[in-house]
Amino acid sequence: MRILYFVIFLSLILPSQSMAQEASKWLKKEIDIILDAYKNESMSNETRFLMIEDTINYNFAGTGIAKFVAGDSWKNANKNTKKEYIKFFKRHLALNIASMMQGYSDQKYSLINSLYDSKNQVTLIDMEIYNDTGSLIVTWRVKKSKERYYVIDLLVADISIVVTKRSEFNSMLKNVNYSLKELNVILKNQNESSYQKLIN
Amino acid sequence: MKFYKNLIFIIFISIFASNIIASESDNVSTDSADFNTGNYEDEIFDPLEPVNRAIFSFNNFADKIILEPAAKGYKKLPAPVQSGIGNFLNNLKLPLVVVNQLLQGQGKNAAESSGRFIVNTTAGLFGLIDVAEKIGLEQTQEDFGQTLATWGVGDGFYIVLPIFGPSNVRDTAGMILTYTTDPINAYAVREGEAWLLPLRTATNAIDQRSKIIDEVNALRNNSIDYYAAVRSSYYQNRKAAVLNLDDKSETPLPLISIEFE
Repeated sequence: MRILYFVIFLSLILPSQSMAQEASKWLKKEIDIILDAYKNESMSNETRFLMIEDTINYNFAGTGIAKFVAGDSWKNANKNTKKEYIKFFKRHLALNIASMMQGYSDQKYSLINSLYDSKNQVTLIDMEIYNDTGSLIVTWRVKKSKERYYVIDLLVADISIVVTKRSEFNSMLKNVNYSLKELNVILKNQNESSYQKLIN
Repeated sequence: MKFYKNLIFIIFISIFASNIIASESDNVSTDSADFNTGNYEDEIFDPLEPVNRAIFSFNNFADKIILEPAAKGYKKLPAPVQSGIGNFLNNLKLPLVVVNQLLQGQGKNAAESSGRFIVNTTAGLFGLIDVAEKIGLEQTQEDFGQTLATWGVGDGFYIVLPIFGPSNVRDTAGMILTYTTDPINAYAVREGEAWLLPLRTATNAIDQRSKIIDEVNALRNNSIDYYAAVRSSYYQNRKAAVLNLDDKSETPLPLISIEFE
């Protein structure tokens, strides 16, 4: 009977582990695409960013994150404003991630730990980035849907990029009377400035 | 016969468990109500925001012209030298870490930190080499701000301190306690070597800043409101430190549904 309990326990645990491993394998492939792009010196900075932006847009739950970050302002905006906001936010997210990953491009990394959180239906994958004097843990939160994975958040030193963006956007929205349309103008200008800094 | 019955049962359970998890993963809700999950910004009480923003601008300027260049210069030192300085400074913090761990009732961590201090101060040549980590004595951090939080003292409001940066009333009180009770600082003052205190603080700031050059630049260059981004980052980081969370499963996280276009 003890063996039976053990096997039941394994039956419940193993699929979670297998899912976490599958997600890690997928994530490693996508991270390598981004880091390899930075190592490819024959690519121009613009081409490199566009390639990385495509990878990020394809693999991040950009629209879901954008709506969460906009908070209550989302509800009051019209369809065109929402569409424009999603477009600008996705670029903003790509610029943030690309800018951060650029710093890691010459460092070694390994995915050290993956865990399936059944309560929130997400897999948490720890990436340890090694430098000369130590290491840094970045945690990727990925969610499976329609037979593929999406990144829904990235945590560096316990700081969630999504929570930070929500707080930051809310602070800015407060200044423009929670108008998503006005935020789009600010976001567009910020994207242009960030883009110039990244490619130059 | 019993064996076969068990086998069939095991196979059934295996398939059933896999299906439950697989179907849960596929069944992603896209209800818009998921996105109205509370207002993180309002959780941060910042009544001094205009003053804080002015101090933040000054700190940001000071960071750009002093701390960041110093940290970049520090990064050019040979890696063993950087590690040695970082280890030495971390070792100096340990007596107060032990005190705070005891005040929080963390006996096991306090014993480990005491062990770290003894091993690194002796075998690790006054803390320059982290020998303790190699023998399994992990580094843990506790300060007076965390102790006060554990005792139920609230954050108070958000403050940006000149030079020292983001804080809140509780953590500022904790910082003052740290400076006034640190035995190493007290010893230096008693020996007439008070100049070592600002040197220690400055070296520590440069060492810490050198570890986050890329992250700070990514945040600074890509934020529509850098002040709010730093404020949120500070609160998330402190919340995790107070709750002694690791950054795997319990860090504050929003529930986001995947949106298909």
